[in-house]
Amino acid sequence: MDILKSIEDAVVQRNIQDVKTLTQTALDNNITPTDILNKGLIRGLEIIGDLFERQEIFVPELLLSAMAMKEGLSLLKPILEKSDIPPIGKVVIGTVEGDVHDIGKNIVSMMLTGAGFHVIDLGIDVSAQKFREVVEKEKADILALSCLYTPTRLAMKDVISALQEDNLRNNVKVLIGGAPIDQKFADMIGADGYASDAPSGVKKSLGWLRK
Amino acid sequence: MQEDKIFQERRARINELRAKNEKMSCRQRAMTAVKHQEPDRIPIDNWMVPEIQKKTMEYFGCENYEELLKFLGIDFRNNYGPSYVGQTFKKHPDGTVEDLWGVKRKIVTYGKGTDHEGTYSEVAESPLEQMATVEEIERYDRWASPAWWDYSAVKKDCLVYHPDYAVINVGDRLDRTAQLKPMMYLRGVQQTFVDLALNPKIVEAIRDHIINYFVEYNHHVFKSANGEIDIFMMGDDIGGQTGPLLSLDMWRRYFKKGFKTYIDIAHQYGIPVMYHTCGDVKHFIPDLIECGLDILQSLQPRATNMDIKKLKKEFGKHITFQGGMDIQHVLPLGKSEDIREMVRYAMESAKVGGGYIICTAHNIQVDTPIENVVALFEAYHEFGAY
Repeated sequence: MDILKSIEDAVVQRNIQDVKTLTQTALDNNITPTDILNKGLIRGLEIIGDLFERQEIFVPELLLSAMAMKEGLSLLKPILEKSDIPPIGKVVIGTVEGDVHDIGKNIVSMMLTGAGFHVIDLGIDVSAQKFREVVEKEKADILALSCLYTPTRLAMKDVISALQEDNLRNNVKVLIGGAPIDQKFADMIGADGYASDAPSGVKKSLGWLRK
Repeated sequence: MQEDKIFQERRARINELRAKNEKMSCRQRAMTAVKHQEPDRIPIDNWMVPEIQKKTMEYFGCENYEELLKFLGIDFRNNYGPSYVGQTFKKHPDGTVEDLWGVKRKIVTYGKGTDHEGTYSEVAESPLEQMATVEEIERYDRWASPAWWDYSAVKKDCLVYHPDYAVINVGDRLDRTAQLKPMMYLRGVQQTFVDLALNPKIVEAIRDHIINYFVEYNHHVFKSANGEIDIFMMGDDIGGQTGPLLSLDMWRRYFKKGFKTYIDIAHQYGIPVMYHTCGDVKHFIPDLIECGLDILQSLQPRATNMDIKKLKKEFGKHITFQGGMDIQHVLPLGKSEDIREMVRYAMESAKVGGGYIICTAHNIQVDTPIENVVALFEAYHEFGAY
């Protein structure tokens, strides 16, 4: 069977060891890291995104697939870094100030890494100023904000305001997610997009930067 | 109760509607609904963060929370269980404090310096997170013990509210009877999800410690209450915004037996059981009913598959619902017409034949304007009558 298809399947089957072994075999067979990424790992992600949306898999399965992708990517990373191929983009991610719930953010962070993004994960309870500073310093393409509690989502607006104050808003796409977030809220606070789950967040990020 | 004209005017609408609709005591009303019969009006339960309690008391001129509950026509009162008499919870120099299970907790503040500032207690460090084997987990020396509680006042505490109100033994948010939540506190959320998929022996070892604790603890609580607890509440979030957190197979494999055990104990003492879970939990409902669950709490309306009309139609004959009011969008961001419409829809969908208790799907949060809180309670009384 096509080895890239096997990598895709191993991501879907959330078999961390197989993803690593198959990725290594693909590299040994001179398949380019870009092909392994786009035609193996990311295709796997697209399928688990659909399965998650259809409620055929749930958080434990999603988490393992994310871990598998991240492990696969860790083998490609040194080669990609040595080559002229830049990462798809740079993402700064964290939970907003006042929110410490990070399971969703962690899955997104792992999947973005596994999809070839350079991810700077600032962790939990991150202030608007901190997000602003890092976005500026790192010249991030995407800022991904997460929260679980309803009142803490208001802190997302503060982050966007901080970017606006320093004229950084137009340089970065703001992606938001978490239980109390929907498109209406994203529109209300002027975010560029909202994602209802981790795979769709990664898909949206890929869409923005591949344009 | 403050009697200034302004407060009397603010209270007038609810007082008027209540005088027209109410013919039963709160306790009769609540327990009639739980028995799937129609009372005089839909019973009302109340969940609010302390900041909203304070704002609402100030608005209606109530001197304390009990006065507010009485005025609003809340049919339930909470019993928080026995008193903790175990060793003092250890404080650490970093400001964290150990809880009942030896889990370090911290206070998190949100909305600092704004009108929606608030705090909550959350896990800072999970003591079992780094452990790799069942043996290590078994060597953990901070498992909670039912001997750390003084159960002698439970009955007296419930009697304060009898015969007027229905008493719910709710426990505390962080120590409420559960299986998955304490596991997540002890092991960490992410590691728990990994364990559920990869380390069944570790899941079972932690789960069994938790179940053994709550089985003995609840026997003591129910025995001491001596018939004065009207409803026993447990809670364990198994639903997320866009779907259940775990598959039905996984829940059956790890948690169904314990869930039924908890229910069976309460039923031995003649106490109906209410189960709180946020999120989309539809695929679990037939199993919850099969285990004997009496009341399913929260019905988070913005979660997928949790439309009250559909749930009532499909399961309403077999289970009572509590909740259904949206705290994520309609209450904080809606207008009073939106709130009235939300209440009307839930009441109309679920009132037939009893079996519905109206309440917010979680605490009303600090981001909700007071006029929306007022609109909610006025609508409860406007649309609740049979």
